[in-house]
Amino acid sequence: MNRTRAFLKKTAWALFTIIFVIILNFFLFRVLPGDPARAGIRDPRLKKEAIEMLRVRFGLDKPVINCFESLNPIQVGSCAVNPFDTQFFIYVRNLVQGELGISYHTNRPVTDILAERLWNTVLLIGAGQILSIIFGVALGVFAAWKARTSIDYLAVGSSLVAWSLPTFWLGIILLFWGSGHGFPLAGKATPGMSSMPLLQQWGDIARHMFLPTLTYTIVYMGEYTLIMRSSLMDVLSEDYILTAKAKGLNAFQILKDHALKNAMLPLVTVIAINLGFTVAGAIQIEAVFSWPGLGSAIYEAVVRRDFPVLQGAFLLIAVAVILANLIADLTYNFLDPRVQTE
Amino acid sequence: MKQKALYIFLLFALLLSACGGGGQTAVVRIGWAGSPDTLNPGMAILTEAYTVFELVYDSMYDLNLDGSFTLSLAESVDVSDDGLVYTYKIRDGIKWHDGEDLTAEDIAYTYNLYKDTPEYPYLNGYYTPYFDSIVANGNEVVLTLTEAIPNIESQLVFLYVLPKHIWENEDKLEFENTAMIGSGPFKMAEYVQNEFVRLAANKEYFSTPPKVDEVVFQTFENQDALVQAIKTGQLDMVTEMPNTAAETLKAEDNVEVVVGAPLAPGVTDIIFNQVDPENCPTDAGGLCTGHPALRDRNVRLAMAHATDKQKLIDLILLGLGNSGLTLIPDGLGVWYNDSIQDYEFDVAKANQILDDAGYADSDGDGVRELPDGSRPLTFRLNWPSDSINAPRMGELLSEMWAEIGITLELQAVDPDALTAQCCPAFDFDIMIWGWASDPDPSALLYVYTTEAIPSGSSETGYSNPAYDELYAKQQTTLDFNARKDMVWEMQKIVHDDVVYIIPFYDANVQAYRTDRFTGWITDQAKVELSDVTSLLVIEPVK
Repeated sequence: MNRTRAFLKKTAWALFTIIFVIILNFFLFRVLPGDPARAGIRDPRLKKEAIEMLRVRFGLDKPVINCFESLNPIQVGSCAVNPFDTQFFIYVRNLVQGELGISYHTNRPVTDILAERLWNTVLLIGAGQILSIIFGVALGVFAAWKARTSIDYLAVGSSLVAWSLPTFWLGIILLFWGSGHGFPLAGKATPGMSSMPLLQQWGDIARHMFLPTLTYTIVYMGEYTLIMRSSLMDVLSEDYILTAKAKGLNAFQILKDHALKNAMLPLVTVIAINLGFTVAGAIQIEAVFSWPGLGSAIYEAVVRRDFPVLQGAFLLIAVAVILANLIADLTYNFLDPRVQTE
Repeated sequence: MKQKALYIFLLFALLLSACGGGGQTAVVRIGWAGSPDTLNPGMAILTEAYTVFELVYDSMYDLNLDGSFTLSLAESVDVSDDGLVYTYKIRDGIKWHDGEDLTAEDIAYTYNLYKDTPEYPYLNGYYTPYFDSIVANGNEVVLTLTEAIPNIESQLVFLYVLPKHIWENEDKLEFENTAMIGSGPFKMAEYVQNEFVRLAANKEYFSTPPKVDEVVFQTFENQDALVQAIKTGQLDMVTEMPNTAAETLKAEDNVEVVVGAPLAPGVTDIIFNQVDPENCPTDAGGLCTGHPALRDRNVRLAMAHATDKQKLIDLILLGLGNSGLTLIPDGLGVWYNDSIQDYEFDVAKANQILDDAGYADSDGDGVRELPDGSRPLTFRLNWPSDSINAPRMGELLSEMWAEIGITLELQAVDPDALTAQCCPAFDFDIMIWGWASDPDPSALLYVYTTEAIPSGSSETGYSNPAYDELYAKQQTTLDFNARKDMVWEMQKIVHDDVVYIIPFYDANVQAYRTDRFTGWITDQAKVELSDVTSLLVIEPVK
């Protein structure tokens, strides 16, 4: 009973946060300076009428919300406007209907763009996350077990270096290295591969993923190693580990049955938060390797004042982060029964 | 360990050779830094989209690299004596990529589509304001104008002809047009936005069909990767690169770097807000907060004399660019007035001009004040934050103009916010920005007119009735030489009035691999390797 209530409460909070994000998302972009109908178009022969037409097409001619024509610069308008005929209401209504709108810049439905980009990002960052978790945890455990030996110092030192490396710099270095070894330097597939057998297509994508995934893994592995090591070392200094040793259990049994389960808690938090941000992509890695993911889509949309894409992408990220946190919360209950007591 | 690395390497080598295995098709791999925004010609804005349109579609005229035009879809044209009616006789036997015939009907349909769709940002407002009616008559297209104009070629050259049988069934705004049925020398084979555009040769093309089989444009968001890719042979050509990379690439064995005027020549300009308070477009949101000193020609003239353009070119462009005069770039060929004598770099003279005009440094802080002493000559200098060159230029200008007692407050501004500050708000003192030019000078000459102040096209607020009159007159002057004289005269006027300082005209810096394809056109007035002119004639190295 208690557990269900806690679950419901957490879910309610998550929902509330999403609604807040939806509202914030709308106003956040509309206080940005600039005019989406003119962004990217600078031409002496562009007629005023054409700009006006673009505004009408994207609904930008309507008041943002009652009493306000626009938010930057603030133009106060009539408060007697039909609230159903404001940009805000239309935005919310479309959202409820699952409509994210049409991108101002590329003239395509936002859902299409986001779906394409999301898949690319999840592929790249997902692979990077899995690899960095596996290697990071393994190295962390190893370092903790061999604490205060030269192996440990080496592991901690290299993890610190890797974690503090600027991602784009490491990316560029690996890109230069890879270019001499036949690795593709941009995109996620070789043009023309779509007519090849599926296996060959996957091989091609894997070749394209190699360098960006390696970059990602190196940088994030350091973080996981450090957290795993310090958390495990805490646990290993507990009395019950000493007891386990005294019982004659071997190193593997102690780690597996006694230490790791407790040491995983802080790591779960970090993994959950990082997984949430997986969706946001890694803008720097995507930029260095021209990976067509969400991160670069967001960057482009900011430059072009492409509100529908920005709103869609931010909503997607917010939902992903909130969900990941919710799942982490709930996993705690499972991993550590002490958490659920209120 | 070493063995393992070798093994992995061999595995990749195998994979690589498997990929290249299909081998007999000649694929030209081109790298560029962008991607088309949309393939719907009406809605497109980015130059990358236009590069693709040039290859997949045809239009009435082709633009040559020397700036001249030749008929493309039509075999002949007949112009009425009053210059209002153009009758184009369309070639026989031109096919769309899907096998249907291209007829006069298609052309008339397309022109009417552009004319009747005011939502098309460029092709409507841009190229069709003089169209009265367009009718197909058998194999002829009869185009009637509202006014006789001298530059019909440049009005039609970017109006890509679309297949009626496809477009009449589509929503002309929402249509994504990814299949892109055209009639040009290349067919759309595959398009993934922000990744690549793959075009296949149209071997039935009515004029010369391409000698290669495929052309692939691949998007590189990172210019270092672009340079690295042509160095290592992953690309056969790059359409752009940082000037800093030109020297390194020149040293490569199989890479040739070419530099020349772009097809659409670019101008970098230093903009002075000189709008007269009387002309302030308050209805259009004009704030007009410019420094009053900039409205004085003497101040602008002194700044022009204190600007060392050669130093700017050497330090910013690493020498790859030409010194500028007005908004009309040298790349426009005959339209460019090369008889204008530019203001020589002479700091002493610049100081003398300011002294004579009464701008003295009365409080001895190294900065001159207005003649009435009320305000120092401290100007805000802004540039779009996405510009690579502008920050360095800002610093150099700051040093150069400090020599004549002028200080600058440098700030980069988000490009969109800068548009909002710029025009028609006139909420700035000096800006660094730029334009790309049409083949015809009219569009950029318009920027100087009084009419352009409220419309947001005028960046300076410059107003000169004599200039406005010439502008209107050249638009309808049919005699080529008479029009050319007017266009030259207009450049003289704006140069004399120091409306802008044009530090330089940008050059196109491209590179291709010599071991893959031969025949790239590099000996013309303009350089554009991704243009049909090159892509139709290059062939694989044997």
